[in-house]
Amino acid sequence: MIRLDRVSKRFGEMEALRDVTLTVAPGEFVAIVGASGCGKSTLLRLVAGLLPATAGHVVLDGRPVTEPRADTAMVFQAATLLPWADVLRNVTFPLRLMRRAGRETEARARALLATAGLAGFEHRRPRELSGGMQQRVAICRALLQEPRVLLMDEPFGALDALTREEMSLELLRIWQGREMAVLFVTHSIPEAVLLADRVVVMSPRPGRVAEIIPVKLPRPRSFDQEGSAEFQAAAQRIRGLIYGERVRAA
Amino acid sequence: MPSLILAETLAAWPTVLGHTLATLGTVLWGFAASVVISLPLAMLIAASPAISAALTPLLVVTQSIPKVALAPILIVALGANELPRIIVTFLVAFFPLVVGTVSGLLATPPELIELGRACRAGRIQELTRIRLPFAIPFVFAGLKVAAALAVVGAVVAEFVGADAGLGYLIQTSMAFFRTPLAFGAVVILALMGILLFQAVAIAERLLFPWSSGVDTPNPGI
Ligand SMILES: Nc1ncnc2c1ncn2[C@@H]1O[C@H](COP(=O)(O)OP(=O)(O)O)[C@@H](O)[C@H]1O
Ligand SMILES: [Mg+2]
Repeated sequence: MIRLDRVSKRFGEMEALRDVTLTVAPGEFVAIVGASGCGKSTLLRLVAGLLPATAGHVVLDGRPVTEPRADTAMVFQAATLLPWADVLRNVTFPLRLMRRAGRETEARARALLATAGLAGFEHRRPRELSGGMQQRVAICRALLQEPRVLLMDEPFGALDALTREEMSLELLRIWQGREMAVLFVTHSIPEAVLLADRVVVMSPRPGRVAEIIPVKLPRPRSFDQEGSAEFQAAAQRIRGLIYGERVRAA
Repeated sequence: MPSLILAETLAAWPTVLGHTLATLGTVLWGFAASVVISLPLAMLIAASPAISAALTPLLVVTQSIPKVALAPILIVALGANELPRIIVTFLVAFFPLVVGTVSGLLATPPELIELGRACRAGRIQELTRIRLPFAIPFVFAGLKVAAALAVVGAVVAEFVGADAGLGYLIQTSMAFFRTPLAFGAVVILALMGILLFQAVAIAERLLFPWSSGVDTPNPGI
């Protein structure tokens, strides 16, 4: 459903991405890992239609992506909530902005918030919530759009380790009930392996796809699997690709 | 002395009240003009660096001209009526409102702008649904300063050319050595400034409860 075909992106002289080729199937969970500055966020913005590619094609459902689409939703590293709106109005904001809000929108938003453990917080302002709760709101906001493509740019990057683990399992539960492709950027190798069907490892300067590692762990996933040989092998392979010679030398 | 001020002011109360209402009228009209002109002006300036580059020096010039010097010229040009006084009041009051609103519009975090773009918001929607709401606390910070300055502006205008108003009252009382009455007028002006400032603060709390308590930098006067 998502197809990147030899995509390159330059910012002036800076080559952020070179010849990135990647396909994502409907409903597939793909994680992207790589050093800072290797173009992960740029890649998501290209798929989101927020940036045009310098060369190559970004194709969604057989059509080139030229602008943001209603069936694509994005979650950023910071929750980016509207400080003036309460939780409920934050969650419904994209649909209201796109004039897609209907009668049932508010009920669906409330149900979604309840699933995310935010029942009773509908009329709180963002600044009254913890970082983890704010990010849950941002995820609910994206899910309410019922996207077919969910783009997540280090969504748990600002959270503490415990909240992070809890939220990744929650995300998997939600994803399992939907036909939704996920592109998930993270700095955490265990997180990538735990969540993804495939892990795209990127290398820097210019950003390229170094390798795509399939993760063949059965679903539903849990932290028990971290000890498995398959998990360890995948994580080890990714580490090797990212740190290269440095790991072998150590 | 305070008792003398009170006694003299009360003795002349009907006259003083008339002057107070005249000044209040000028202040309110000048303040209203500031709001009506500053907000669209700020949106224009925030919308484009080219417009900003063209307008900002002009605005700064209006601030460096001494209003006391400008007021007589305006009166000669426009006649001895309410209009030049309102213009002077506006010129004294509007600048912090423009500066505050522009700061707010431009301080909108880029992530919120990107969120809007990802939700297919156009330029107008971006302005009305994201930038303007974000700027509200900044706008109100500017409004509070403008409310206080409008009182100053009205008095400056009345000093130069008026036949009514507290500024006029101060001048004439001083000319007739009725210093306590002049002081009484100054006290009323101070009260007027405080009340207008508080009215803006209350309006903010009623209309935008989330706004008060949000940290905003002082818009600078
Ligand atoms: N809008 C932009 N203008 C100029 N350079 C940019 C822009 N966005 C990203 N870059 C540059 O492109 C490179 C990749 O950035 P990014 O995609 O944010 O990397 P990552 O998310 O992997 O850390 C970086 O060197 C960054 O400085
Ligand atoms: Mg990034």
